Amino acid sequence: MEARPTVLHADLDAFYASVEQLLDPRLRGRPVAVGGGVVLAASYEAKRVGVSSAMAGWRAKELCPDLVFVKGHFSEYQRLSKQVMSILGDYTPAVEQVSIDEAFLDIAGSRRLFGEPDEIATAIRERVQGEAGLPISIGAASTKHLAKIASQVAKPDGLVVVPPDREREFLDPLPVRLVWGVGPATQARLEARGVTTIGELAKESPERLAALLGGGAATKLRGLANNDDWRRVRSRGRARSVGAQSALGRTTPTPELLAEVLGHLADRVATRLRAKGRAGRTVTVRVRFTGMRSITRSITVRDPVSATLTLREISEALATQALADHPRERTITLLAISVSNVTELPESQLELPAPGGDPNRAGSPTAVARLEVDRSMDAVRTRFGRAAVGYAAVALSERGAVPDEFRELAERDV
Amino acid sequence: MRLTCRREELAATLGSAARATSAKSTIQILSHVLITANDGQAEIAATDMELSIRVPLKADITESGAVALPRIAGDIVRSMPEGDVVLEHRQNEGVLSLSAGRSRFSLNCLQASDFPELPAGDDDALTIEASALVAAIDVVARAASRDETRPVLTGALLRVGPDGLTMVATDSYRLAVRETGLEQAPSELSEAIIPARALTEVARLSTASSAESLEVAITESQAVFRVDGTRVTARLIDGQFPDYRQLVPDEFEHDVVFDRAELSAVLARIGVLAQRNSPVRMAFEEGQVTISTVSDQVGVGEESLPVLFSGEPLEIGFNVEYLRAGVESCTGDELRIGLISPLRPGLLRGDDDSFRYLLMPIRLNA
Repeated sequence: MEARPTVLHADLDAFYASVEQLLDPRLRGRPVAVGGGVVLAASYEAKRVGVSSAMAGWRAKELCPDLVFVKGHFSEYQRLSKQVMSILGDYTPAVEQVSIDEAFLDIAGSRRLFGEPDEIATAIRERVQGEAGLPISIGAASTKHLAKIASQVAKPDGLVVVPPDREREFLDPLPVRLVWGVGPATQARLEARGVTTIGELAKESPERLAALLGGGAATKLRGLANNDDWRRVRSRGRARSVGAQSALGRTTPTPELLAEVLGHLADRVATRLRAKGRAGRTVTVRVRFTGMRSITRSITVRDPVSATLTLREISEALATQALADHPRERTITLLAISVSNVTELPESQLELPAPGGDPNRAGSPTAVARLEVDRSMDAVRTRFGRAAVGYAAVALSERGAVPDEFRELAERDV
Repeated sequence: MRLTCRREELAATLGSAARATSAKSTIQILSHVLITANDGQAEIAATDMELSIRVPLKADITESGAVALPRIAGDIVRSMPEGDVVLEHRQNEGVLSLSAGRSRFSLNCLQASDFPELPAGDDDALTIEASALVAAIDVVARAASRDETRPVLTGALLRVGPDGLTMVATDSYRLAVRETGLEQAPSELSEAIIPARALTEVARLSTASSAESLEVAITESQAVFRVDGTRVTARLIDGQFPDYRQLVPDEFEHDVVFDRAELSAVLARIGVLAQRNSPVRMAFEEGQVTISTVSDQVGVGEESLPVLFSGEPLEIGFNVEYLRAGVESCTGDELRIGLISPLRPGLLRGDDDSFRYLLMPIRLNA
């Protein structure tokens, strides 16, 4: 066992709101929410009075009458995230970015170059504040789970280092909700049985916990509470799959709905594949029914797919098949597309437009035309924004209150 | 049946006919050749039900009869001592004896009555110059597809009429067209899609014979080619052949002239490196073209040639084997490549327009 707290969890504080306050000095020190109908992110000033993300806009205003709503500056988020990640990369190659605003670092090999964990964490915090102008909190511990808890405790704008010999002392008094995987429902169940702190969770009998939460969850949570976390920090290679999903509420899956939602998802997934010069041969569609039951259908095609329309057609066929196999399910709550078996976009031998060809082959005139349309569209979007152009059925519908740019940031392959 | 003939004659005849046998069929007798000796005439025939070849055999027949023997007989005869070979088969016996000098083989054989009925192949025919047909087959048939899922493309379109002879084949990646006049062009047009494999056999037989002309009969369901008494019959392929006149663009942005031998040599060198999936890149710029390829495993090769090219630079990728086939099929010292854009086909022509080879590019990643 490593005797030093060599895993860092670095987490930008209220990232989107902090960026807005950075861009517009008038917002500094004031409660800020990114969004409109729905709060996508809130500044610490707003969080302090109870505003949280995913809250309805009117409710947030009720809690915090001074709240300033701003539209997001998505390209700035991306740019600043990249800048911060590159600072992290200066201290170790083992950076595992888990979302746009947080990452794990393994600094076991960095001591001789940059010093002890607390020195490295302090240096990172100073550089992020100085170069990017953003507050970042860091937790340092011997495992990923503990480092993440430490960074949550450190917030806002702080540093918590947990020395290996003081881990229990640190964990025991903390509330159970800080354990990874404990959401509001689990928290309520645990508290009803008198388990409120991580220390209590760690000491709870496995049988009683299993009866309360089910066997799998009980083992996992008890392990984490006891700081058994063998997950390593992995700096990711290239993404092996690319996916997107859309929660729909309870909806009747009409062909029109499938076309629209899957069209939208296919557009997002295929755009991301093309941006990386990649394509995938396996397409998987997931349909979730009420009651969280979900089914998947997938197909592996001969030639890798990266054209929006082709991905959409394949996805629609899969979803239609999945629904036909479950005729008793009347409502669905989620649709998802994922493309795996991802490779470089192949250099395809193109085909003459002779009759009888298979339009799904990468070199067919249809496939070539689709890819050219997509590429033109990608170029227009890069220049004028995502909403500038789109496929009619998708572009003309207004689904959901969350802008696509926001989804893109959340789904971006880091 | 009993007959005697020269070893070379028997070996050559068996070899020619055996090309129509089927190695893949589950019907055993289709991997056999049929020998018949009747009325003083002998013949060796084979068929795979799509294609049949019947070759006359010069032999001294002492007893009539017929029998089907395995294809391997040709290999045996070829290795026998020089001189006469005697073939003997007693009716209702399952073996045929082959003897030459002191060598003697007994081969298991099948009954002639089980052999599929062969088309007579004596339909009314046109007479055309063998050289014109062979020249067309040599450069066109190789562009046909081997993909059985698109049967039409496994054949070549043959059109014979007042304008002469036209042959077209495409595997959808490239398209080859040969148009030639005929000394005695028929007044009526006949047209058919003929399996490329059958045409290749016709060219082979025709090249081996000294006949200056051959006969072609196209009926509702089959095409018959008669060369020197040998009959090749092919079942026609049903369907609509792609309209090659629509597929060949009318105009090209560039028409780049190459020294054909030089380009051929460059492609031979680059082709050593270019794997099946690594395209040969042709980067055209003012006054020159750089031809290159990258093989992930092995390395990189490139060569520049001066050419007359002006305008925006253009980089296009091709399958090197397809490109070489085109360059080698054209005639003359000069080779012209017509180009439009990296995703549109290129057109190869030699010193005249009688042969055109349209080739689709490989889309290159930047």
